[in-house]
Amino acid sequence: MLEHHPDLTASVIYGLGWLYLLLFLMNTLWVWRSYHHDGEVKMFGQGVPVASFWALYAAMLGMVATAHLTGSDNPQMFLLRMPDAFKSAVDSVSGPVSFFSLSVGLFVAVILLREWIVKPTVGWILLNASLIFLALSMTDYDFRQIVGKPDNVPIVAMLFICAFFTWLSFACAVENDQRKAAGKPLYSQEKNEKILVWPDLVYSELICMVLVTALLVAWGIVLQAPLEEPASSAKTPNPSKAPWYFLGLQEMLVYYDPWMAGVVLPSMILVGLMAIPYIDFNKLGNGYYTFNERKFAISTFLFGFLPLWVAMIVLGTFLRGPNWNFFGPYEFWDVHKLELLNNVNVSEWFWYKVMNTKMPVAPAGSDPGTQAGYILLREWLGLLLTFAYLAVLPPLMAVTIFRKFFVKMGFIRFMVLSNLILFMASLPIKMVLRWSFNLKYIVAIPEWFFNI
Amino acid sequence: MEEKKPSTADILAKIRAQKAAAAGGSPATAPEAAAVPVAEPAPPVAAALVETAPVKPAAPAAKPGSTADILAAIRAKKGGAAAPAPATPAAAATVAASAPVAAAAAGPAKPLPSIAEMVRAAKPGAAAPVAAVKPPVVAPPMPARPLPPSAKKGAPAPARRSLAGLVTVAGVSLVSFVLGGVFASPVLIAIGALIWCVLLSPFAMAWAALSVVTGIATLGTARFMFPNVLVEPPSKFKIGPPSDYPLNAVSNKWKDQFGVWIVHTDQYEGKDLIYALSTVCTHLGCTPSWLDGEQKFKCPCHGSGFYITGVNFEGPAPRPLERVGLRVAEDGMLEVNKSMKFQEEMGQWVDATSFVDGSLA
Repeated sequence: MLEHHPDLTASVIYGLGWLYLLLFLMNTLWVWRSYHHDGEVKMFGQGVPVASFWALYAAMLGMVATAHLTGSDNPQMFLLRMPDAFKSAVDSVSGPVSFFSLSVGLFVAVILLREWIVKPTVGWILLNASLIFLALSMTDYDFRQIVGKPDNVPIVAMLFICAFFTWLSFACAVENDQRKAAGKPLYSQEKNEKILVWPDLVYSELICMVLVTALLVAWGIVLQAPLEEPASSAKTPNPSKAPWYFLGLQEMLVYYDPWMAGVVLPSMILVGLMAIPYIDFNKLGNGYYTFNERKFAISTFLFGFLPLWVAMIVLGTFLRGPNWNFFGPYEFWDVHKLELLNNVNVSEWFWYKVMNTKMPVAPAGSDPGTQAGYILLREWLGLLLTFAYLAVLPPLMAVTIFRKFFVKMGFIRFMVLSNLILFMASLPIKMVLRWSFNLKYIVAIPEWFFNI
Repeated sequence: MEEKKPSTADILAKIRAQKAAAAGGSPATAPEAAAVPVAEPAPPVAAALVETAPVKPAAPAAKPGSTADILAAIRAKKGGAAAPAPATPAAAATVAASAPVAAAAAGPAKPLPSIAEMVRAAKPGAAAPVAAVKPPVVAPPMPARPLPPSAKKGAPAPARRSLAGLVTVAGVSLVSFVLGGVFASPVLIAIGALIWCVLLSPFAMAWAALSVVTGIATLGTARFMFPNVLVEPPSKFKIGPPSDYPLNAVSNKWKDQFGVWIVHTDQYEGKDLIYALSTVCTHLGCTPSWLDGEQKFKCPCHGSGFYITGVNFEGPAPRPLERVGLRVAEDGMLEVNKSMKFQEEMGQWVDATSFVDGSLA
C-alpha cells in the first residue's frame, strides 16, 4: 500500500508526550481515588487492591510520556504508532452505512447498558480508551491532517463534552431510578445541595467567566484562523463545507432536495422542539433526572440529537472529503477518488425496470393541464407512497404501537406527535434507501421544483 | 419543615417601623403631615414654618438625613429667610398657606453655606439648640404660581388661520409672481413677495423645509436602486470558431470569466453537438468541477454528479445542468448568449438556439 506522507515529525511526538503526561497525571489521581473507594480482588490467594492495577497502568503511561518527551529526536525510528493493519481494516469497513449503523448501535448500547456505563470506573475506562485511541491515531498523517485542523479542534472538544454530559445525565437518572425502585427519596431531596445565589453561585460564575475568557484568549492566540484565498464565484473550494454546526444539515442535503433539507425539515425541527411541551402528557420526571419514567421522551430526543445531529456533524467534518465522497479516518483525501453512484428515482425504477417501458411524457405543445396529468401519472407510485407514509401510518400507529399514547393524548396532539416522529424518521429512512437502493427521489417533479 | 421566609412587604414594614422609631416615634405616614408640627425629613424647619415661633425640636437626637436636610438646618440657624427649597411637598403646602401671613425677609439669593457650616449643622447637638434659640423663622413669600390652564378658560382662544386661508394666500402670491414674471412687472413681483413673507410663519417654513428634505431623501433612495455601474459581464460574447472545440472535450476556458463550459460531444441522443453549459449546480448553486479522468462534472458541496451531456446521475441534484444560448455568428465565430437558458426537464434542449451542429468543428 502506498503510504502517503508516513513521517512522524518531532513536534507531533513531543505534543503526544504532553498528552500522555496529562493522562499519567489524571490516572495518578485516579489511583488515589481507587485506593480509597475500590476494594480488593482475590488473586493468588490473597487480597490485591484494585488501585494497584491502576497504579501499574499509570506507571506505564508515565514511561510512555517519558519516551515521547525524550526520544523525539529520531521520529522515523519511533515505534509507538497505530498499526497499519488496524488502519487499513478500519478504512476498508468504513463507509456511510457502517458509520451510521455504528452510531445508532452505540446509541442503543448506551441506553441499554446505562446502569453499567454510569459506574465511575467504567466511565473512566471509556474516557481513557478514547483518549489513547485519539493519541495513537494522531501518529497517522491523514488522521492528523483532518483532526488537527484548527477548524476541527472545537468539534473534537465538542465530542468529549457531549459524551461527558450525556454520561452525567444518565448517571443522575440511573441514581434516581434506583432510588425510586428501592422506595427511597430522590437524590436531590435526600442530599439537599442548595446553596445561596450570593455569594456561592455568583462567585462560581465569575470564576468560570474568567477561566473561559482566558481559555478563549489563549486559543485565539495559539491557533490561527484558517483563512483561505479570496472568494470567487467561479471556484468552489473542494470540499466545500458548511460551518461545523451545520454539517448535519449539509449531510441531510445530500439525501434531499434543497427545498426539503434546507427549508421544510429545519423548520420542522424548530417547530417540533417548540411543540414538545405541548405534546408531552407525561407528568413524571418534572424537575429531576430520570430515565425509567420518561423512556419514550428521552430516547426520542436523544435519537434526534446524538445519531442524527452530532454523529452527522462528525461524519461531515472528519469523513467527508473532496467531492463530498466518504473517506475512512486514515484514508488519504484523494480528489480523484472514484465512487460510482447511479441514483434513480422511484418513477424511473417503476417505468423502466418494472413496467419495462418509457416514462409517460406529455406530447409536445400540450396544454398545462395535460402536462400536469402526465406528470402525476409518471410519479403516481412515489406520490402514493408519500401519502401513505404521512396519512395512513399515523392512524395505523394509533391503533397499534401507540395505542396508549393515542388514548392519553387525544386526536390533535397525537397527529402532531406522529407527524413529527415521521418527519424525523424520514431522514434515516431516506439515507438507508439511498445507500441500499441508490434511490434518489421518491417523488421527482423537477418541473415544479417538487422533489421528495 | 423550613422556616417561613419573610415576604417583601414584611421586610418593608419592618424597616419603616425602625425608621419611625429613629425619627422620634412619629408615624412615618401621617396623612395630615402638613398640619402636625413633625414633618418627617427636617423637623426643626417644618416646625418653625408652621408655628412661626421658637419651638423645641421634636427629636434632637435624630440625625438630619439628606443634604437638603443639612442645608435647611443651616439656613434656619442663620436666621435668614428659610429654606428656599422645601424638602417635602407637605412643607411646601404649608409654606404656601402661610405666605400671606409671614413677613417677607431676605430673598432666596443667600450665599451657599460653607462646608464647615454644613458639618457643624450636621452634628445633632449643634443644630438642635441653635434652632431652639434663634428667632422665629419666617416663611419667605412664595413667588406667585402661574395659574393653572383651567383658569384661563374664559380667555378667547387665539384665532387660527385655516388651511384654506393659507392656500388662498399662497395661491394669490403665486399668481402675482407668475403674472409679474409674464408681464415683467416688478410691482406684481413685489406684491407676491410681500404676501409670501406674510405667509412665512415659522410653521409654514418648517413644514415646507420638511417636505423638501423628505422629498429629496425619497428621490435619493429611489436613485440608490439604480447604481450606475454594471458589474456583470456582457451576456453575449464571442468564444472563437467551432474548430477550437474538439469532439468529446469540455472546455474550461470561459469558466472563470463567464461561467460557462463549452462542450462538444456526440453522447447526447447520439447527435454531434456543441453547446454551452452553465457552471451552476442545479442542487444549491455551487460550481462543479469537470473531472476529465472520470468524464463527469462533480460538485464539491454535496457530491452531485453530471455526465458530459449535463444530465445528472448521482448525488442530490434534481435536474440536469442548464444550457445557455449558442449560435454561429455572421463572422463564423461561436457566440454565447447567457440571457437565455434551456432546461432539459422542460424539454427545451430541442430548441435550435441551445446548440450548434458539431460537424462545423
